[in-house]
Amino acid sequence: MQRYDYAIVGNSAAAVNAVESIRERDGDGSIGLFGEEKHRCYSRPLISYLVAGEIGTKGMYYRPSNWYRKMSVEFRPGERVTSISAARKTVTTGSGEKAKWGKMLLATGFTPFTPPIDGLEEVEYITFVSWDDARRMLSLTAKPVRALVVGAGLIGMKAAEALRARGAAVTVVEKLDRVLPLALDARASGLVAERCQAAQIDILTGTGVSRLSGRGGHKGAAVLEDGAELDFDLLVMAVGVRPRTELAEAADLPCEGGIRVDEHQRTPGRDIYAAGDAVSAMDVVLGKPSINALWPVAALQGKYAGMNMAGEEAPYPGCNSMNAVEFFGLPVLSAGIVNPPEDGYQVIMRQDEGGYRKVVLRGDVLVGMLVAGRIERAGILTSLIQERANVRRVKNSLLDEGFGHIHLPRAVRKARIEYAAAGLEAPGAGKGRGG
Amino acid sequence: MKRIIPREEYCIGCRLCEIHCIVQHSCSKDIIKAFKKERRQVKRIEVEEEGHVSFALQCRHCDEAPCVTACLSGAMRRDAETGAVTSDPERCVGCWTCILVCPFGAVRRDEAERKVVGKCDFCPDLEVPACVANCPNEALVLVEE
Repeated sequence: MQRYDYAIVGNSAAAVNAVESIRERDGDGSIGLFGEEKHRCYSRPLISYLVAGEIGTKGMYYRPSNWYRKMSVEFRPGERVTSISAARKTVTTGSGEKAKWGKMLLATGFTPFTPPIDGLEEVEYITFVSWDDARRMLSLTAKPVRALVVGAGLIGMKAAEALRARGAAVTVVEKLDRVLPLALDARASGLVAERCQAAQIDILTGTGVSRLSGRGGHKGAAVLEDGAELDFDLLVMAVGVRPRTELAEAADLPCEGGIRVDEHQRTPGRDIYAAGDAVSAMDVVLGKPSINALWPVAALQGKYAGMNMAGEEAPYPGCNSMNAVEFFGLPVLSAGIVNPPEDGYQVIMRQDEGGYRKVVLRGDVLVGMLVAGRIERAGILTSLIQERANVRRVKNSLLDEGFGHIHLPRAVRKARIEYAAAGLEAPGAGKGRGG
Repeated sequence: MKRIIPREEYCIGCRLCEIHCIVQHSCSKDIIKAFKKERRQVKRIEVEEEGHVSFALQCRHCDEAPCVTACLSGAMRRDAETGAVTSDPERCVGCWTCILVCPFGAVRRDEAERKVVGKCDFCPDLEVPACVANCPNEALVLVEE
């Protein structure tokens, strides 16, 4: 039976970053990587860019083609892991092959969630989460079509934008009252919706699909909850995603709201680690574990999982809900809490010709930010959120165009600029605080 | 590993670093052409100023660079030889995730190119980066760690 010192289940952001972390620390240990898809690791968020024609096939790959060889990884593409045994330390693949491992990483990602809709089984639909989905969409839009997108979250809106770029007539249906209801606040949602409508995407909010009927292949018709009827040649179901926890669950690992890990990305299973979109890990803004199914978060978790798997004691610093998106030339960045509950939070907003900016504070601590249009230097705000910095003395400057390190106390900015980036602690300086 | 350290006690906010950064990254590397004839390059250094205090700040080329980990396309990488963190314009799709996570606000959009980010690259053609070489006050110093 094949044996790996490290078995990696998954082949995306968390898996790749874990491998790179392991290899930096352990040049010799054998690594086996099981990828369910046949592709080399590609960047899942770029499928909309591919469909829109902004990048080509080559631009999809997250790492160069010699990456697996360079990392001395035995890449096993198209091999789905169907079960794991924590007791015997084995994985079993779809073809029935078994392999033993010393340490294992579960980087199983997410799976699209499709609600039961009357008649859904009559229509072939696309969930738009994989390269194969993008290929199907490309071939189906070779000539102009009418497309219906159900769900106005990030996946649905990116699908809508890409379909529009392919010349499709696009309608988006969203149950809640606005687009991107989780990632953005109401005002930013409005700005994105305006851009989309200007690009002739029809957006119907506050309604869902109550019934579907098929007319062969991808063609069909939808009846909406408000009674409206829509014919389509292509249906995208983008209602939501769920963590893929079935392997972990079958191995009796705790999975309430995502695979549970400690601060070293370790599950309670011996030598089993987990990282990425399937995992519930520390959100520093919420102060508790949460799923942030986002590429940069998955990459960071993978990086820390790899360090710990290779024997280093490296606690995951935690992350927060961060998004960077652009729709029809309008960039929008957000971090932390952008839709605070009514009580206990202070919101400061500014809107002018340069764009829209907003920060959310809990007491004197910055817990959220959103910028649309003029996004330069917003990362400074993200870092203050991540550091849970006290911003009492700079509250009123946070939204100024010139806001920067100049507004932080001299000792704090020197610590950040001269030492923090080099991974050093400033002499005599306390923890970096912004006020 | 090279680093450029700002010394705010010597910075007078003249912004020559910003100007020479733009010239160095221009096509002609000629100051008049760079500002008057060619497409204006993105400045990859920023002078922050308030009252009498000022200093210039560019990418710190962080050891644990958040932009490298967060980059969606794999365009933002650390050069194994120079240690510099640079973005490959061929692979950058302009998702702006690096701008979202850079604690120094040191990554900028190249709005003319729309899809590419601009940041300090240590001026690979020069021994001493243009901002350091052209600072009249040694308010930017190059250190080797």
